[in-house]
Amino acid sequence: MALTETDVRGIADYARIALEGDELAQMTSYMNDAVDMLEPILAYNLPDVDPTFHPIGGLSNVMREDVCDSERGLSIDAALDNAGSSRDRYFRVPSILGEGDEA
Amino acid sequence: MANIDTLSARQIASAVASGELSALEVAQAALDAVEAREGEVQAFLQVTPELALAAADRVDAARAAGEALPPLAGVPVAVKDNMNLVGTRTTCASRMLESYESPYTATCVQRMLDAGCVPVGKTNMDEFAFGSSTDTSAFHPTNNPWNTSCVPGGSSGGSAAAVAAGEVPLALGSDTGGSIRQPAALCGVVGMKPTYGAVSRYGVVAFGSSLDQVGPFGRTVEDVALAMDALVTGGHDRCDSTSQEVAPVFAQHLDASIEGRRVGIIPSFMEAEGLSPEVRSAVESAAKALEAAGAELVEVDLPHLDAAIAAYYVIGPAEAFSNLARFDGVRYGYQEPNCRNLADQSSLSRAHGFGAEAKRRQMLGAYLLSSGIYDKYYYAAQKARTLITADYAAAYEKVDVIIMPASPQVAFEHGAISDPTQMYLSDMYTISINIAGNGGMTVPVGLGTDSGMPVAAQLVAPAFKDERLITFGAALERAFASDGAPIMGVAPAFSGKGGELA
Repeated sequence: MALTETDVRGIADYARIALEGDELAQMTSYMNDAVDMLEPILAYNLPDVDPTFHPIGGLSNVMREDVCDSERGLSIDAALDNAGSSRDRYFRVPSILGEGDEA
Repeated sequence: MANIDTLSARQIASAVASGELSALEVAQAALDAVEAREGEVQAFLQVTPELALAAADRVDAARAAGEALPPLAGVPVAVKDNMNLVGTRTTCASRMLESYESPYTATCVQRMLDAGCVPVGKTNMDEFAFGSSTDTSAFHPTNNPWNTSCVPGGSSGGSAAAVAAGEVPLALGSDTGGSIRQPAALCGVVGMKPTYGAVSRYGVVAFGSSLDQVGPFGRTVEDVALAMDALVTGGHDRCDSTSQEVAPVFAQHLDASIEGRRVGIIPSFMEAEGLSPEVRSAVESAAKALEAAGAELVEVDLPHLDAAIAAYYVIGPAEAFSNLARFDGVRYGYQEPNCRNLADQSSLSRAHGFGAEAKRRQMLGAYLLSSGIYDKYYYAAQKARTLITADYAAAYEKVDVIIMPASPQVAFEHGAISDPTQMYLSDMYTISINIAGNGGMTVPVGLGTDSGMPVAAQLVAPAFKDERLITFGAALERAFASDGAPIMGVAPAFSGKGGELA
């Protein structure tokens, strides 16, 4: 069944991408074309084939001691350098709940 | 004295090591070539003269101090703009990351620098590597040096074009579904996607984590082999758990014999709808050249390859959606001003930071991972991956490598493919290799008889047997080029333009 604009708006909400103007209609058309293109994959829901999630088998989680990794860790200043908004040692964001007062 | 574009990476390194050229002269010539050619090619998003001259100075100082030089000392290199390099922005050709300053250097880039390379700049790409034309860059398109009204391919189109235009002898790209091999084919250069895990992805902005791999472009197979040796020197990178130990011995396989070795051909691939006659005849002539050099051609069948495009456009967008969820406008990336709350800030930052194709891929991924849909598509795609991988494994019981097209057609004009799902078919010959995880290399074989644009063959080898790509690629080069010269060389319109060595 084809995806409707309502469906696509719901997906956009989930993906946190605000669709504006003509974008909803264009995206709905694209999504239906793309899903049609994916149709052949449905024949591969085969009960006797195991899925391969990754080309390298046998990988395990990398564990380390719970201490600062000086090779990979960024300093606070470096971590904040690319942020759109920061205050003191923190990333600054608008209100998480409700309408907020940042407008 | 010669123009910088007549020299291979190997020749430059050798001239710098012997003192015939200083690294500074080479860097200045490369920057001069970039300046003279960029107006028409537009391969770069940033040119980095300060980094290049400083790196060249270090090479010259080391030589003056009598230190042994690393293998690629003084060789100019360009880096795709999804790879972090301290002192540059890493934009992924997206408004989202327009002002993102690299906080650290990617392992693959660092290894090229450790090998003595001189970084000339960051190259254009399709936004976040979503595309096959480089036209989805948020900043500007890149032009194919063989015909500037055509695309260079993508997503690593800037890297391929920079090498084809003679701006640099070496460049790095990344390949999730063909993003090194397809632009290499369209620009007439050698481009290699090694086996998944051969090269560290640490510091490369992720697209499809089970598919992404970094690899080099060059004008000769030898240069690509030397770059591969640099990329794997140092072995496993503890910052990328998928990276594997690979011996830096690619260059040792350049002269290996192909006598009596077997080359697979997939008949259904050669008859596929959408394959242009001139590309088919180029691949056939490449196969015949390998046969003439002593290899045996063997037909192989990979019955599940029909599922590859559909499997890829499930796995790729699903992984892209997960990876690009990090761009929420808080820690980095475009931040929409004056939002009432965090949810609005995220969805408006993403709406205005991402371009159309980046939104499409993420929307498709979000849908495919949603409840009730996930089971239908995602599992089926991963089962298809099992079968495709098994198909390749069975084929490699019979053959050493497989030869096939890299791109179904030569470079097309900017804007010629406007339907996104049609554009996805550009990857029909490259995608299955990312799904299986093995390596592939594009080798140019000349100009198409109809279009006059570069045509190429793709060699594919079993996982972690990438040295075979070097051996068979070098054999093709010997068949199609004279005496160590590249098969194609620099695109004629740019050859000798700027870049004269003093």
